[in-house]
Amino acid sequence: MAKKLNKRWVSLSKTPLDIAAAYQFLQTPAAGGIALFIGTTRQWTDGHETTLLTYESYEPMALREMHLMVDIAAKRWPISRVCILHRLGEVPLAEASVLVGVATAHRPEAFEACRFLIDRLKVQVPIWKQEHLTDGQVHWIEGNEPPETTVT
Amino acid sequence: MVSYQIQLYSVLRSKLAAASVNLEAHDGVTAGEVLDALCDQYPPMAPYRNIMRLAVNQEYALESRIIHAGDELALITPVSGG
Repeated sequence: MAKKLNKRWVSLSKTPLDIAAAYQFLQTPAAGGIALFIGTTRQWTDGHETTLLTYESYEPMALREMHLMVDIAAKRWPISRVCILHRLGEVPLAEASVLVGVATAHRPEAFEACRFLIDRLKVQVPIWKQEHLTDGQVHWIEGNEPPETTVT
Repeated sequence: MVSYQIQLYSVLRSKLAAASVNLEAHDGVTAGEVLDALCDQYPPMAPYRNIMRLAVNQEYALESRIIHAGDELALITPVSGG
């Protein structure tokens, strides 16, 4: 996986996410709580059955947006460690596609920052999933809202 | 005139069966003008006109953003990671 910077670990990976490594990275004596969100491939959605998800990304921009999200979160909450890992390519049923982890001194900030990061990732980071159904159909999942523009 | 190359991903890449498209436009064209011209030239893009963004040098651009020769361009439809 990509290099771990001092307090943050942001990466895209075509191999299964190493959840134990993420937890190990988040552990620090400065933290009194670690919030960890893991998104996984769900079998049933509104009555149709999924067999597999595949993810693609505009990788350099996705990494850039992930780092920007971490910058914003780090200004809002006193974060000791943070990681955002996203898997690309095929993600079989029940396996992890995304992991967001935040370590903070106290519990509320860990929950809040973790929620902010996963919610923002789902609107802002150029990654898309393609759903493979049991009837052989394959289609792109399209998000609900366009990403925020950057004022420059 | 400049020949701009615009990267495609996800649903647009599938609908146009291409990883990128080209657009002839002048240096200094705006992001909004690029989106309009692309939708005229590539009708499968038109339904996405109001929900897609132009990424310029890996940033989501305002429609007023000025584009120059050599900028890295990509079309971003609403994302679905996670």
